[in-house]
Formats: sequence, structure tokens, C-alpha cells
Amino acid sequence: MSGANQMANSIVRSFLRFPSYSICSFTKPASACSRWYRNNNYRTYTSFRLVEKAYKRGFSGGVINVEVFSANYSCASSSSNSNSNTCETVGGKEYLSMTDDKLMSQCEMDTYKVSGPGGQHRNKRESAVRLKHLPTGITAQASEDRSQHRNRAAALARLRTFLALKVRNSVDLDNYVPPPELVQILPAKSTIRGSEKGSQIGPNNPKFALGMQALIDLIFAVEGSVADAAKKLGLSTGALSRLILSDDSLRMAVNEYRAAKGVKPLK
Amino acid sequence: MKSSTFTRASLSSILQPAFSPRPISGRPITCSAVAPKPQTPLHLRPPSFRATLSELQKWHIWAKNKASSVGSTFLDLDNGPESTLLHRELNWLVEDALEQPALLSRNNYDDATPVSVRARLDDLYDLWKQRIDERRPFQYVVGCEHWRDLVLSVEEGVLIPRPETEMILDLVEESVTQNAGLKNGLWADLGTGSGALAIGVARVIGSGRGRVVASDLSPIAVAVASYNVRRYNLQERVDVRLGSWFEPLNDVNEELSGLVSNPPYIPTENIEGLQAEVCKHEPRLALDGGENGMSDLIHLCNGAASMLRPGGFFAFETNGEVQSELLVDYMDSKVKGSFFDVNIASDFAGIRRFVTGYRA
Repeated sequence: MSGANQMANSIVRSFLRFPSYSICSFTKPASACSRWYRNNNYRTYTSFRLVEKAYKRGFSGGVINVEVFSANYSCASSSSNSNSNTCETVGGKEYLSMTDDKLMSQCEMDTYKVSGPGGQHRNKRESAVRLKHLPTGITAQASEDRSQHRNRAAALARLRTFLALKVRNSVDLDNYVPPPELVQILPAKSTIRGSEKGSQIGPNNPKFALGMQALIDLIFAVEGSVADAAKKLGLSTGALSRLILSDDSLRMAVNEYRAAKGVKPLK
Repeated sequence: MKSSTFTRASLSSILQPAFSPRPISGRPITCSAVAPKPQTPLHLRPPSFRATLSELQKWHIWAKNKASSVGSTFLDLDNGPESTLLHRELNWLVEDALEQPALLSRNNYDDATPVSVRARLDDLYDLWKQRIDERRPFQYVVGCEHWRDLVLSVEEGVLIPRPETEMILDLVEESVTQNAGLKNGLWADLGTGSGALAIGVARVIGSGRGRVVASDLSPIAVAVASYNVRRYNLQERVDVRLGSWFEPLNDVNEELSGLVSNPPYIPTENIEGLQAEVCKHEPRLALDGGENGMSDLIHLCNGAASMLRPGGFFAFETNGEVQSELLVDYMDSKVKGSFFDVNIASDFAGIRRFVTGYRA
């Protein structure tokens, strides 16, 4: 066991050291939205808990667990030995494998609320939606669409990307076998890619997030070395670099981590 | 050309609604001989007009400046929209008016490229003036509202469906999941307005034997709701009828499996203080709930006790909090024993807004 690389089963590493709202600002419309939220001081925020029912159905990661987890959040990024039971027992991969309904049940949803009673009283089309994933504290929001319903779906898709970028799974480097979801996003020339795997999945495919997460898990395990990761994946360093650079959020995540390790960014 | 101009109800007819106050029961309804013809929303009109890119960009800059000049004036005045929201609305107007909205963001100001537009350039100026200077609701300007996964036609005389009301469909979905038999019965949406809930319920209960009957006292609402029902190809399953609350259901022999309604619930004395978009432009008929705002809710509650079949589901929207509690109290006292599993559900903003339950 190469101990240094062994992390707790799943640790949220805040390697993207932004305040939580700005992780939403990687697309233009959402950044307009977060500015709009800030202008309004958050003072008229109220929360609507979609989680209550999920708790009744026996979801274990309740609010108390989240508070404990929040306390560990900062220590998790500074030391990787927080192998304690208070950390989440659900792996990041499991979050991404959840159905929309299940993932939504772990989220708290905020909508912007003006002062006053709402309903028939007002006409403001405040359809922006902000989701907070309670087990990890990761938030995502969407306001581009006129319908709250569709903004909710967009925010959930965005949340999946953030979960992929920020929640790490442990990797056993010595016996490393790339998981199928990672193989799916690799180019055809990868030597570990069998001919029966189908064509390469791109960033617009909903399954890309799972593959991206597994790829970042590997990059973290090899301390940011693209050359080492490429070897594990049967690719040339150049080919893996091109894959990483093909998606903005993936590139930013890898480069943030490399910067933290003192390695120069991929370009 | 004539058909393209934006006809609107004259302001006087909005300020003095044809029907006011709403009869609680019994008043005979006079059907006008000619049914009103609903307007086509902007985004569904043919892009049969041409303007050059530079002309449109000039309009766009003018409109942006006009939105910016509002600042927080409306917010301070009557809790109306701020510039940020108006800018977002302007983007949506561009989306609806232009065949290729992305063209506008090109930075070539002397471009003579002809662009296909769904309204005349003059109309675009007028529409944005109406939005800002007259506080005409954006949804009436473009003739539609995006609501849940629907795009519904709306116009003066019809209440613009609110995002809060979307949740009634989640409550209906939950009820039919727990009791699949409800899907095959008759549902009613009373005071349907644009038809939002009736269409939503029809889609939730699916294409089995279930049907929906929708009523509204306003002929314009009936015309617009019927238009929206046809747009979603639900005319076989949703029947829109003119009349007050339960009256159009008099000839219906079947007991109701479900009943939903977003009745007027604002206390009369609060109407004048609402933001201009609402109190100057939306139909008072759809807002004014009488002295304490509860008149129509109580009427619906009494009707539910007699019209629903045992086990039938109801969901009503209220003004929130106190009204929800008063309605539940009324059910527990005045129509005691008529209902079971009576619940108050919160809206997205955490306000206890909906009262749901089942007929005993």
C-alpha cells in the first residue's frame, strides 16, 4: 500500500479554493445570476427542504451528519488522513450514479424570494434555482431559463459536474484498472480500450461526468503527473493532455491541482 | 400587415373589469354571442418582417438603456422589477422576436444584413415602451409565459400563471402515485385562467380514461385556455367551460376524482398596493378574494365536500400561512367529517401556501 495516496474512502478536497458561489461562475449566465443574488444580500433567502421526505424514506446522510462533515471539510483538504467514520461513507462515484430524483432528495433548494407574500401578489419571474447538495455542501445554480422547472434540471446537471470535479474517490495505484466509465471517455487509440467499448463519449454526454471524475481521481493519485496517468490509461502524454484540454471544467480542475502541487499548468 | 399589429385590451377595460365583483353563486352568466379570438404569442408568429442588423442593434441598445434607467425606481415604488430583471426580460423578448437571436450579439453596427423578425421594428419599440413606461407585464408583451414544462399563451384579461402554482402539479402527481385509481376519473380545475393547471393535470394523469373539466367566468380566459389546450393537443381530454366555479359542472353526473384551483385570494384592500404590473394590468376578477381574501376558497371548500367522490383529492392555493390555517380550521369545524388527511404544503419559498386533502 502506498500510504500517501490512500485517502479516506471519499473526501471532498477543496482544491478549487473559491467561495462556494463562484464555482457556479464558469458559465456566463450563471455568473450573472450569482451577481444578482449577491446584490440582494441573500437577506430574503428562504429554503425549501426537499430532503425531508428522503429522510423519512431512510436516507442516512441527514443534516446532523452534514454538520459533522462540514467540520471536517477544511481539515480534509489540509491532511489526507481523515479516515474517520464521521466522513461520508458514500463515495463520490455513488452520488453521480444516483437518479435525478435520488440526488435531488439530498439537496436543499433555494429560490429567490422577494419580501411579501408571493403568489398572485407579484410578477417577477424569479425563476432562478440554487441547489445545495447537503452531504458535500456543493452548490449549483441556474437562471438562464424562464421556467423554474427547467432551471432546476439545469442546476442538477451542473451539480453533477461539480460533484465530479470536487468529490474524490480513492485509487489503488498498484493494482490500477481504469473503470469502464473512464474508458468510455478515452480516445479510440488508447491501448486499453477494447474494440467492443463503443465510440468515445464527449463532454455533452451526461455520462461524461462519471468518466471525468474517475480521470481526476487518477490524476490526484499520481500527484498531477499527466505522463504517469497516461501510462495507466494506455495513452501518449499528448493524447491525454488533449483530452483534458477538451473540456473547460476538466482543464481547470487539473490545472488548479497542478498549481497547488507546483507543477506548471497544461496549455 | 394589419394582422401583425399588437392589439390589446384598452386600459379602461382592464381598470374596470367587466365582471366585478365575482358572484359567489347563482348569478346567471350571459354568454357573449361572439367568442373572443385569442392572440397568437409573439414567438409563434411568422418571421415575416425584415429589419437590418444595424436597425435592430440600435433598437437593442435603446432598449437596454431604457431598462438601465429604471434602476431600483420600481422596486422602491411598489416592489416592482429592477434593471437586472428587465435586462433579462429584454433577452427573452429578443429570443421570442428574432428567428436567430444570436445575430444581435455581433458587433458590427453598420451591418445592412436583413434579419427576419416576428414583429415590425416599430412594434418592438412600442412593446418595450409599454413594458417600461406603462409597466405592462412582460408576459403580456410577448403573449406567453413559461410555466413548468409548458409555454402558455396569455393576454390581458387572463391571470399570468405564477411559479408557485407549478407545485400543485407535484402534489397531484404524489396523490395519483399513491392512488392510481384517481388517474381514471374526472378532474376539475376551477377558475382555470390560462388553463395551466388543467393542462398540467391532464398530463399528470396521463392518457388513460381520466379527463379534466376546466371552468372560468371570463370569456377571454375560456378562449385563451381553449387555445392552450389545443396547442398541447389535449382537446379530447380537457373540456373548457364558461361559468362560475362549479356551475358549468351542473350537467356532470360523475363525481370528481380530483379538484384543483388557484382562486383569487388577495384581500380587496390589498389590491391597490400591489406592483403596477399586477394591479394595473391583470384581471381583478382573478385576484380579488373579497374582504379577507377567503370568499372563493370557502366556496370551493363547500363544493369539494359535495362534488368529490369519497377518496377524491383536492389541492387549493391560498395567500399562504394564515389563510391556509383558516381554511383548515374551516374544514375541521364547518364541514367537519367531510375530509381526511388534510395537509398544508409549503411553496418553493417556504410559505405555507397549499391546502390538500381527500374527501371522506
